[in-house]
Amino acid sequence: MITTTALTKSYGNAPVVRDVSLHCEPGTITGFLGPNGAGKSTTMRMLVGLARPDHGTSLIAGHPFVELPNPPRVVGTLLDPSAMHAGRTGRATLTIAARMAGVSTDRVEELLDRVGLADAADRRVGGYSLGMRQRLGIAQTLVGDPQVLILDEPANGLDPEGIAWMRRLLRDFADRGGTVLLSSHLLHEVQATADHLVVISHGAVVASGPMDELLASSSLLVRTPDPDALAAALRAARVEYVAGPDRTFVVDVVGGAVTTETVARIAFEKQVLLTELRHSDSGGLEQLFFSLTAADAAPTQEAAA
Amino acid sequence: MTTTMTRPVGTAGPMSPDASFSAIPFSRLLRVEWGKATDTRASRWLLAAVAASTVGLMLAPILSPSSIEQSYTSYLGFAAVGLSILLPVVAILTLTSEWSQRTNLTTFTQEPRRMRVVISKIVVSLILGVGAAVFGALVTAAGLGVAAASGRTLDADLGAGLLVAFVAYVLLNIMTGVALGALVHNSAAAIVASFVLPIGFALLGQASQLVANWLDYSTAFTWLLNGQWSGHTAQILVAVALWVAAPLAIGLVRTVRREIN
Repeated sequence: MITTTALTKSYGNAPVVRDVSLHCEPGTITGFLGPNGAGKSTTMRMLVGLARPDHGTSLIAGHPFVELPNPPRVVGTLLDPSAMHAGRTGRATLTIAARMAGVSTDRVEELLDRVGLADAADRRVGGYSLGMRQRLGIAQTLVGDPQVLILDEPANGLDPEGIAWMRRLLRDFADRGGTVLLSSHLLHEVQATADHLVVISHGAVVASGPMDELLASSSLLVRTPDPDALAAALRAARVEYVAGPDRTFVVDVVGGAVTTETVARIAFEKQVLLTELRHSDSGGLEQLFFSLTAADAAPTQEAAA
Repeated sequence: MTTTMTRPVGTAGPMSPDASFSAIPFSRLLRVEWGKATDTRASRWLLAAVAASTVGLMLAPILSPSSIEQSYTSYLGFAAVGLSILLPVVAILTLTSEWSQRTNLTTFTQEPRRMRVVISKIVVSLILGVGAAVFGALVTAAGLGVAAASGRTLDADLGAGLLVAFVAYVLLNIMTGVALGALVHNSAAAIVASFVLPIGFALLGQASQLVANWLDYSTAFTWLLNGQWSGHTAQILVAVALWVAAPLAIGLVRTVRREIN
């Protein structure tokens, strides 16, 4: 569990993080999404005591991070995979983490295997690719068998196979009751990995909630070879619609009162054939992301117009 | 965001939400920091260089019996100087490498009580210093053995007081490196400073007696090494305060307060 209340931080006169409140529950993966420089990394560093907030508090598993007696047993942190000693081997790096957490060094071999670095374990980290360092960093976070993971841009440098591997790993971690907070500036990455979302822009949270709620589009797209029959059926069922091009209809979901099942049932009862029935393309997260984060750019464009 | 976990009451989950693991014991920190200080290729080369410079300097009194005083203290003095060329660098790297390599991003999330981490690094440096002093004493004994075997007469002038002074000299040199490393947080800058500052103060000392007597720590530490406390006690203490205590205190505060990027 991660809870922050009104975390705020400025560097000089520049506010970097403004009133950020997060609430990440066990069993969930929260995607912390925002453009570069939005304040994601600073927020994460405040969570783990590497930066001091001007105001606000943060708790991990109910305690301020700096008061956890043995943090690696509670929370695994990976903020920058390039921040590793280039002269140490992967195995030595992980062994240090295992010793620090007070777990058996047998766990080192197990984790090297699990993150796919068993063959590279005796090479020095200086010769690792960014993807390999991410894998080693992930292994480091897991070494103390924690219940919380805090990962800053964990997909950076991973190849598509590596990204799929990491998603499975995080999903499995969350399914076993773990809490994951991961940041990304890549929309599709978050969409594919997280189930909850916090969008940050210019240091402030601009949207947060379960992914499917945030992504739910407000209309359905229906296509039929028989538009007149469908129009009549929808009118009879008192469902609002707008006829579109190519024998399509756009049906308002009225805040969730009308679903694809509602429309399918209406068509079924009146024996109208449907060839397409789905939530209309809203551009998903991308549209949300750009509409939220580009909000400050819009007035300038309007002023110029 | 309201996802709740459903789990039968009274059964522990695979991940207990209990944060009550016992604190990381200091002995464990010490062991981890000892490993970090000695497990890289660079640190091993450096320790080898410390050993080599000590052995190398020991050759001087052996090979030049006519120009160098042939006494136990003289030989031990060469070991002390040999150790002190590079030992402060070992201490500096022990303190700075996590800043230069940025690994304290990890270390301070493993143990957020940064003071404990730094103190364990200081203790590791002192253990290395004691080990080095023992090594220096063994090299001295070997050097004296070689000299005796060649038929020289050696002045056995070494008492317990001077042996203690030798150990103190080695440890104080280590501590100047520790203090500089704790203060500067940058390996290259701290190493350069550790070589330039003594030379700079030695040069200034030639111009000003005041600087030579009070600010040049190499002079003060040499008094200590030679057991010349009488008349120099205050100067030795000022050197320790100025070159060890003050930078270390400021460095510890800086380490605890600094934000990690």
